[in-house]
Parts: sequence; structure tokens; C-alpha cells
Amino acid sequence: MELDSIKDAFDRVTKKQKLSSSKSHEVVDQIHLELEQVLQKIQLADNPECPVNLKSVFSELKTKLKDIAPLTQLESTQKELNTALTKYPKLVEKSFNPDISKAYRNVDFDRHTVNQIIASHFYRQGMFELGDCFISEAGESESAASMRSPFQEMYQILEAMKSRNLDPALNWALNNSNKLNECGSDLLLKLHSMQFMEILQNGDRHDALKYARTYLAPLASNHLAELQKLMACLLWTGRLDCSPYSQSQLLSVTNWENVAEELIRQFCNFLGQSYESPLGVTVAAGVQGLPPLLKFMNVMAGKKQEWQSMKQLPVPVELGREFQFHSIFVCPVSKEQSTEENPPMLMLCGHVLCKQSIMKMSKNSTKSFKCPYCPTDIDATRCRQLYF
Amino acid sequence: MEVDAIPNGSASETAMENAAAATISPTPSKFSGLAESLKLEHQFLRVPFEHYKKTIRANHRVAEKEVSAVISSVTDAADRENMSREEAVHHFTSLVSRLQGLKRKLEEGNRTEQMQAQKCRARLDHLESADADNLAEWNSTRLKRILVDYMLRMSYFDTAVKLSESSNIQDLVDIDVFQEAKKVIDALQNKEIAPALSWCSDNKSRLKKSKSKFEFQLRLQEFIELVRADKNMQAITYARKYLAPWGATHMKELQRVMATLAFKSSTECAIYKVLFEPKQWDHLVDVFRQEFCKIYGMTLEPLLNIYLQAGLSALKTPYCYEDDCTKEDPLSQESFRKLAVPLPYSKQHHSKLVCYITKELMDTENPPQVLPNGYVYSAKALEKMAKENSGKITCPRTGFVCSYSELVKAYIS
Ligand SMILES: [Zn+2]
Ligand SMILES: [Zn+2]
Repeated sequence: MELDSIKDAFDRVTKKQKLSSSKSHEVVDQIHLELEQVLQKIQLADNPECPVNLKSVFSELKTKLKDIAPLTQLESTQKELNTALTKYPKLVEKSFNPDISKAYRNVDFDRHTVNQIIASHFYRQGMFELGDCFISEAGESESAASMRSPFQEMYQILEAMKSRNLDPALNWALNNSNKLNECGSDLLLKLHSMQFMEILQNGDRHDALKYARTYLAPLASNHLAELQKLMACLLWTGRLDCSPYSQSQLLSVTNWENVAEELIRQFCNFLGQSYESPLGVTVAAGVQGLPPLLKFMNVMAGKKQEWQSMKQLPVPVELGREFQFHSIFVCPVSKEQSTEENPPMLMLCGHVLCKQSIMKMSKNSTKSFKCPYCPTDIDATRCRQLYF
Repeated sequence: MEVDAIPNGSASETAMENAAAATISPTPSKFSGLAESLKLEHQFLRVPFEHYKKTIRANHRVAEKEVSAVISSVTDAADRENMSREEAVHHFTSLVSRLQGLKRKLEEGNRTEQMQAQKCRARLDHLESADADNLAEWNSTRLKRILVDYMLRMSYFDTAVKLSESSNIQDLVDIDVFQEAKKVIDALQNKEIAPALSWCSDNKSRLKKSKSKFEFQLRLQEFIELVRADKNMQAITYARKYLAPWGATHMKELQRVMATLAFKSSTECAIYKVLFEPKQWDHLVDVFRQEFCKIYGMTLEPLLNIYLQAGLSALKTPYCYEDDCTKEDPLSQESFRKLAVPLPYSKQHHSKLVCYITKELMDTENPPQVLPNGYVYSAKALEKMAKENSGKITCPRTGFVCSYSELVKAYIS
């Protein structure tokens, strides 16, 4: 972001602050010095050899202080500082969106629901202590911590994997092998292969073979190619780094990372949770969605009332493709989103319009019409409803 | 998305316009999207700056006050007749030590100012650091900042501190600013008014500018407490001193609260009974929070609520509330659905088709294909299915079976 002018304005503030601060010091030092001198003189007044007229010392001091004019001095630098202090926020206000709550609808979010979402977020990010602290501070009930133990299990598995211990991961995958099969995941095979390679790398051919017979052989029917490759590794026991597999996926760190990622994905999946934190996704969507909404509110100023009751956003909000979870069909003719009553229809030419548009253009199926996108003649009765 | 052929001449005019508009991609580039999102960070720069400004002003006031006190004390001494030597020594010794105290205060003040300036600068640097390479990390920090803001506004200080320390984002959050609010809020929750009143006097000019009546509300509550304790004479004296000045602008409320003298705290009369209820104190806390946010240039709502609302609206489609809403959609979760109920649905000007099987976007590279039963899936998914099943396609939603050769392409604009 282009922040140079704002940074300059801020530099001016700090420069003037330093000036003003050193000025204050200087002024106070001056007064301090004068007073100390006077104090010395008064103390000397005791000496009968050089008597001091207190009265004249005081009035001399008074004149001196008047000449120093400390308050005027203080004020002069403060004035410049004040100018800088006013300018900077004005510049910031001009360059940024000064009120992002303009597009806020006055509905109260239920506090417990929000807190529960936050607590689950902390737990799913592995921030268990923080989640606990939050729940107790917010006075939320135990149910807000419902995601704690499942995610704790997940992080224990991942922590173990980080220290190259695959046992908890294998345990979990074995317990869930049916479910993993159902959704076509070969996570179990991947974990067994990694375990096998670990044993091989430690140089124990016998153990490796035993492991392969026990755990890999039963998986052979579906994964013959992988199995062959793994078994070939036996030839290089203890010196895998000079084997043809030294550069292969099997040994790489990224393989471990990929498998960990797959494990997270499946673990969340079985919990009925998404891979990404839903709180993170929603806030990120909000960051993308807010600018067009604010722009709209600026144009629509004064219609705040209408905004509060709208059933649909007044402007299209384009989110990145990572936020597309549903098929939305917008009829290119009527610009309306399809509904059950007004579904998308495939014309013979392959173009798609919604039913109402086709009805309109065919005068309720009484005549053929030309597709708006190609010169094909369309018979409305031969259009087919689509399901996305 | 398929880019279509030029519409033919027979099409209606609106259709032509629409088709032309449809070919212009409205999706903003990643870069302009980032710039737009950074513009939302006004409060991020504003709050520490207000804090800094406040410190500067307060320190300056101290310097001015002390210096003028010393000067007038010198003038006093000069104007006095017959000051003894001992008196003079005593007088000036105390002035000198007062100045030494001031010097220490100035140094300390300067240090605080520097620290707060450093915080302002750290925020500028943080905004500047956002670019395509570190976006994921930057966004994750933003979420943490937003969560700390939520904790602070809800007075969950322990969580706020823990989160900011464990993420090392102390300079990017406003815990120090909210500490000031905490004192006042804690006191109000203990039914103590004094810290709130002293906060009002610290921020007198700002509150006056925004026509705040917070101080008046505090005074009313103090008066009510005197009535509750049956200290009627004291209450009247108090009202003369502290409530009467607000009479010009808030006569109605003033009269209402004065009437409590006649009713006492045990009144059953609804208008007056409510004034004695403990929730009045909660109300004062709410009012204080709002005044506090205004003074620092913060939104009145927690940032989290603002972003959640915008995000939920942008994500909300009629399909979200159906059983087959994908888990990846936050709105598949009950808690998110609940929050989204009073919010509007999103609006789209362009079709966005997501393959039911792969969940990938269907576009020119991966176009939608239609089965004879009208169900649409992405070319990629169907190709894969055909390959694995020797050309046979089975519709996952209906069980309908057909051959790969029966598929037709759909052109979606
Ligand atoms: Zn056509
Ligand atoms: Zn949805």
C-alpha cells in the first residue's frame, strides 16, 4: 500500500514532538538554573562580609524569568506540534475508510453463539490453553468446549508425527479405516508406507519385511504398484540415500507434510468440520465483501432504513473462488438468480437461460425464437431443465 | 466461464447489453483487492495515534501548570515584605525540588510519548508489509488482531493479553488503551462512580464537542444512590451543585429524577422504579463503552461482528440452509447459520458453478457437462469417472446411468 505521504505526515509529528519535548526541558532547565543561583545567593546572605539584599535578588529574578518568558516558549513549539497532530489524522481519514461500520445492520449477535465459534476456532488451531482461558473468562458453559478433546487428539497425532512417531496416526487411521475407504482416501497406505520406510532407514531389513507382510500385504489388492516400489526399497536397506528412490516422494519432508495435511483434512471431515477454520473463512469473506458494501452505502447515504430490512444485498459482492461453495446460476437475459420455480434451462444450442426468459421470448412456448447468443432457432418445448 | 459468441441481431436489446456486460470480468485482481482491504484499517492507525496525542497533550498541560505555578510562587516571594532569610531558603529549596520533580516527569513523559509513537509507526510498517508473498500469514495476524479487539471490548482481558503475547502482536493491538477503560468499567460494575467522573474531566473537551451526556447520567445515578440511602437533604444539595447545570439541556430527565425524592426507592411506579434498578449500572457501562470508542475513533461494534456480518451476507445463499451444504461452507454449521438468519442473502451478477463432485469451479478450462437427465458436472470429474468405469457415467445424485458419449456441453455466460 502507498503509505509514503502518511508516513511523512507522521514523521512530521514525531519531529515536532521531539522539538517540543526538548524545548520543555530547556525551559525548565533555565528556570532551574536561575532558581539555584538565587538559592545560593540567599544562603550567602548569612555572611556579614557581603550582605545580600533579598528584595533586590527577588526582583532581579522576577525580571529574568520575565525575559525567559517560559510559557511563551512552551507555547511556540506546542503550536507547531498541534498543527502536525491535526494534519495526520485528517490525512489518514482521507486515505482510509473512516467508518467500516456504515454497512452494519443493527442486529445483535447472540454472544454465546459468537463465543462458542471463537472457542472452537482456538481449539481447532491447536490453541488449547487460550481456548480454556477464554471459556472461563467469558463464563461460557462446558458445551462451548465441545471441540476441545477431538482437536486435542488431532494435535497429539500431529505433534507425534513432527517427531517422526507415526504410531498415533496409524492407530487413528486403523480405527477409521472403513470410513477412509468409503471416501476413497489411501491415507492408511501412505502411513504404512512411511512407517515401512522409517524402519528401512534405520537399517533393519528383517523388521521391515515383517512389517510389510503384516500391514502392507493386505492392502496390495488395490495398490499393487505402490507396494512393488516399496518392496524394491528392501534392496537398499540402510543406504536408501544412494538408491534410485533417494529423490523420490517416499523420503521427502514434503511427503510428511502432505500426509499430515491429508490427515487433518480427513480428521476434520469425520468430525463434521471443515478443513479451514470457518471463523477464518467468514472473516476473510467479510474483508473482501466489505469494500463494495461500503461503497454502496456511501452512494445510498440516507437510505439506511431500507438497508436494515433488505432480503438480499443491494450490490453484487464478488468473492474469490475459495469462497464458492454453491452453484449460482444467473440468467444472462433477466439477470436474476435461478430458483426452483424459475430453473435454468438448456437450449438445443447448448446455451442456458432461465425458464422465465425462455417463456417470455417464446411467448409462452407458442413460437420459436432465436437464441440471444447464437443464431439457432429455439423451440421452447425442447429445452431441458438443468441441475447444478 | 464460457465466453460467448457475439449475440445475433435478432436478440432483444437488453439481452445484447447483458451479454456484452457478461463478457467483462468483474473479479478484481488480487492486488486491487488487497489495497481495498487495507483501506478498512482506519482504526488500526487511528487508535494508537489518539492515545499518543492524548499523552502529548496531558504532558504538556503538566509542564505548563508546573511552570506557571513556579513563576507565580517567585512573584509572590518578590512581592512579600520582610521575608526572613530562613523563609527564603526554605521557599526556594522547595521550588528547586519542585522543578527537579517536573524534570523527572518530563523525561518520563517523553519516554511514554516515544513508545507510543513507536507503536504508531509499527502499525504503518505492518500495513506496508502486506503483499502477495506473505498474505496468508498477514491475514492470519489480522484475524488475531480482530479477535483481540473483540476480547477487549467484551472485557476479556486475560484472553486478550494471552492471545497477543503468544502471537507476538502486542504493538498491533490496543490493550494499553483499553486498560484505561477497564478501570472505569470495573468501578462502575462495583457501583463506584468516581473513576468514571475523573475520566469525564480528563476528556472534557472531547465529550463536550460530541454533546455527550455521560457525565450527566453519572451524576443522576449518584443522586439516585443518595435517595436510595434516604439521604434526602444531601441529595438536594448534590442536585443543586451537579444536576442543575444540566437543566438547560436536559430538563425533562432532571425533573423525572428529582421526582424520586417524593417516591423513594421502594416505589412501585414503573417510571421511577426503573431508575433504582441495578441494570442502570449496566447501562452506564454500555454508555461509557460507546463514549470511549468514539473518543478513540473506534467503531462502536467489535470489529469481529462487523467482519462476520459482511462475510456471512456475502456467503449466504438459499442453498446454505439445505442438508447437502458442503462442510467447507461456514454456513453449513448451526452456529453460523444462526448468526446469519437476520442478514441478507448475497447477490450475484454472474453465474458461478461449482462441480458437485469435485467442488471445483466450472469454467472454460473445466466446463460444465450435462447428463441426459439434466444433471451437470464438471468435465474433469466426468472424464475421470468414464476412464475408471470404461466409459460408463453414473449420476451420483440420482443413480442414473449413461455413456460418456451422451454428454453435452453447456455454455454458461
Ligand atoms: Zn445459443
Ligand atoms: Zn452455503
